[in-house]
Order: sequence, then structure tokens, then C-alpha cells
Amino acid sequence: MTEKNFEDFLKKAAESYNAPPARTPREEMWSAIQAKRAAGPRVVYGGGSAVPATREKRFGTRVWIGAAAAAMLLVATGVGIGRWTAGPAAAPASGAANPVLGKPVVVMQGPDAGAVIDQPATASTNPAPSLRSPSGRQVATMSGQSNRSVTNSSNEPERLPSVAGSSSAYQLTAVQHLSEAEALLTSFRTRSTADQQMDAQLGAWARQLLSKTRLLLDSPVANDPQRRPLLEDLELVLVQIVQLSPGSTSQDRDMIEKTLQQDHVMTRLRTAIPAGAQRGS
Amino acid sequence: MQTVANESRSSVNDIELITRVVAGDASAERELYERHVDRIYRLAFRLAGDDDLARDFTQATFIRAFEKIGSFRGDSTLSTWLHSIGVSVALNGLRRTKRLRNREAPLEEGLTVGAASSDADPDLKERLARAIDSLSDKYRTVFVMHDVEGYTHEEIGETLNIPVGTSKSHLFQARGKLRVALADFAPEWAS
Repeated sequence: MTEKNFEDFLKKAAESYNAPPARTPREEMWSAIQAKRAAGPRVVYGGGSAVPATREKRFGTRVWIGAAAAAMLLVATGVGIGRWTAGPAAAPASGAANPVLGKPVVVMQGPDAGAVIDQPATASTNPAPSLRSPSGRQVATMSGQSNRSVTNSSNEPERLPSVAGSSSAYQLTAVQHLSEAEALLTSFRTRSTADQQMDAQLGAWARQLLSKTRLLLDSPVANDPQRRPLLEDLELVLVQIVQLSPGSTSQDRDMIEKTLQQDHVMTRLRTAIPAGAQRGS
Repeated sequence: MQTVANESRSSVNDIELITRVVAGDASAERELYERHVDRIYRLAFRLAGDDDLARDFTQATFIRAFEKIGSFRGDSTLSTWLHSIGVSVALNGLRRTKRLRNREAPLEEGLTVGAASSDADPDLKERLARAIDSLSDKYRTVFVMHDVEGYTHEEIGETLNIPVGTSKSHLFQARGKLRVALADFAPEWAS
């Protein structure tokens, strides 16, 4: 009986607990509901309350995943194209037989150690390789023996130009060298026999050109069936000029002149030099 | 017999109503709202004890119901389903505002809200309110729904997704705690 009394007592006393107002604010709440639904995410029937937000999140995640995949695909494609296009030149080269090094440096050993010949990093910007001394003056240094070596002296990774670009640089170098040789030989033929100082200067000049000639003989330039014999004949003439001593006789000079005439060195030189090419530089 | 007939008719009407709502019928939405808003709002107010919160909870309940109504499978009545959402919304909202609500409680105690029974002693009302507020959510919800709003244990069980026996147990536990809290008033119910 006491329990029943307590329940009745409790229910009666609890009627006042958080007692709601007599009138439910229907219209106000309905207006608020409509406003919130209009302002909030669009209602999608068939499953989803907070689903729109979740779907937006998932959609966002999908977008990011797709973008990342696209970026990776783009990078992979770029790397693949790069490797494919640079593939033939990518193999490391050693020696002058492989001219595709980006900046090959020929180091002369022996008495002329120190002179280097370097190729431009890119044939398009400065396609003509130059022969220069440690002081920077453009010279050719003669190797005392045939102990020439070509090496990539730079340890740092370098860009490898295309074969075509490198070949073009060698061709230009060859033309420049032949022009300079023509100038030397012309000077030699027109010199005064009594001028020993002139002989000494020509001898030094010939020494430089001889060194460069030998380098070119080891280069792809010598692969040309017409240019290689010319370079070999030129090498012979230059050796003779270098070996001329201040006290050499006119007979020695005649032998050189005879070689030039027999082998038509001068004619072949001028033929090998295209019109308009810079000469004697 | 008449009650069963009414429930059956109500279920049929609910299904039709839901079908129309899902089809995008705005008038059906309003009709659904009008049918259930009173009870939802009353329960929300009982749990919240604050008109603004009760309105917010009621509005959130219907917004969520309209969004989810496509997933309503008919395992329970529409009213029970709505009450499930309403209680869930209210309890979650109250947890978030619990600290603020506790601070404002002393001020609210001085206010007269709604049509409170004038029979209860003011001191009893205050003690009872504090005692009910101190109950855990599960006990308080069952107590409010059963002893204050008059829901059956079956309805409570479906709404809170608990067995009927659990609902009864929670009510027993709640009453026991309130009996202890109101021990000073024992002569009033013993007499």
C-alpha cells in the first residue's frame, strides 16, 4: 500500500517537473524547420540525414585521391618520356669514341699536361668546342706521345646533350680547325726564309694545331671518309713544320712544300671549309 | 477492439503519409509534422526543461526525420520512430549543454514554466526536480516518459530500443533513488 501511495504521490508531484507550456508553438517551429532545411544541405530522401555531408566528405576524398593519382600518372609519364628521349645518350661514355658526354674534357698528358679541351654543355647555345690552355687563351697543346686520354673530368653529374647536338659541335670544331690550319699553311708558304723568329712562331702555332688535329682524328669527325685522310695529311705536314729547327735548310722546307702540293692539302682544306665559315680564328 | 482498429488505420495512414513524403509531397510533410509535433515537443520539453532547447530539439527531430524517412522500414510505428529520433536528439543535445544548463538551473527554479500543478509543495517541487535531474539519463528518461508523460513500457522499450523488462527495471531504480531523495516527505505519501 505504501509503495502504491508513493507512486501516486510521485506522479502527482512530478507533473510540475519541466512542465511544458499548454500551447505547442507549432507554426514557429515549422517555419524554423523550413528555414533550416532551406539553408542546410539539400534533403535527399531514401537514406540520408547527415548523409549529404558524409557524401560530400567522401566525394572530397575521392577528388583528392583522383587528383593524386593523376599527378602521379603525369609525373610517371614525364619521367618515362624523358628517359625514352634521353635513352640512347644515357649510357655513360668513356673515351673520345663516344662523344655524347655533356661536357667532355680532354686532358692532355705528358709534356703538355694541363691543356684541356672542353665541349659546351649544350650544343645549341655554344656549339663550338674550344681548345684552350689553363690560362684561358685558345691554344692547342701538343702531346709528346700518343698517350692522349679523354675523360670526363667533372665528377658532378652533368646533362647529356643529344648525339646530334654533339656531332654538330664536332663538325663546327673541325671546320674551325681546318680554317686555322689553312691560315697557318698560307703563312708558312708566304713567309720569308731568313726570318727565324717567324719560323719559331709558326712552329709553335703548328704545334698547337698538331695537337688539335690528333684530337680530331680520335673524334667522330674522323669518321668522315673524306675528312680523315685530310686530317692525316695535315698531321704529317704539321709534324714536319714543328720539326723544323731554326737552322733548317731550304731543302727541309721544300719537302714540306712538296707534300702540300702532292697531296693537294691546300685545295682539299679549302674545299672542306664551307663558304662563309670563319677562318683562322 | 476499437483501439486496435485505430492503430491499424493509423499504420495504414502512416504508410501512405510516408509514401507521399518520400515522393516529395510538401503537404504530406506538414501533415506528418502536425500529427506528431505535440508529443515530441512535450517530451523534449520534459527532458530539457527549457523552451528554447525544446524547440531546437523538436525542430532537429523533424529535420532529421524528413531526411531519414526514406530509410524508415516500418519495423515500428511512425510515432515510435519519431520518438526514437527525438529522445536521441534531446539527450545528445542535453549532454552538450549540460554545463550551461546546470549554471542556469538556479535561475530557472524561480521561474514559473507552463501550467504546473499547484498542489505540490514548493519545497517538494524543488527537491523533486533536483532529484530527477540527478538521475542518470537512462533512469530519468524512463521515469519522465512513464511516470510524467504516461508512455507504456512497450512504447518506451521501442523508443529507447531496450527490452520492456529493462524499462521496468530502470523505472524501479529511478523510483528507488527518488524515494531516498524525498525521504523527508515520507509522511505525505504514508498517510
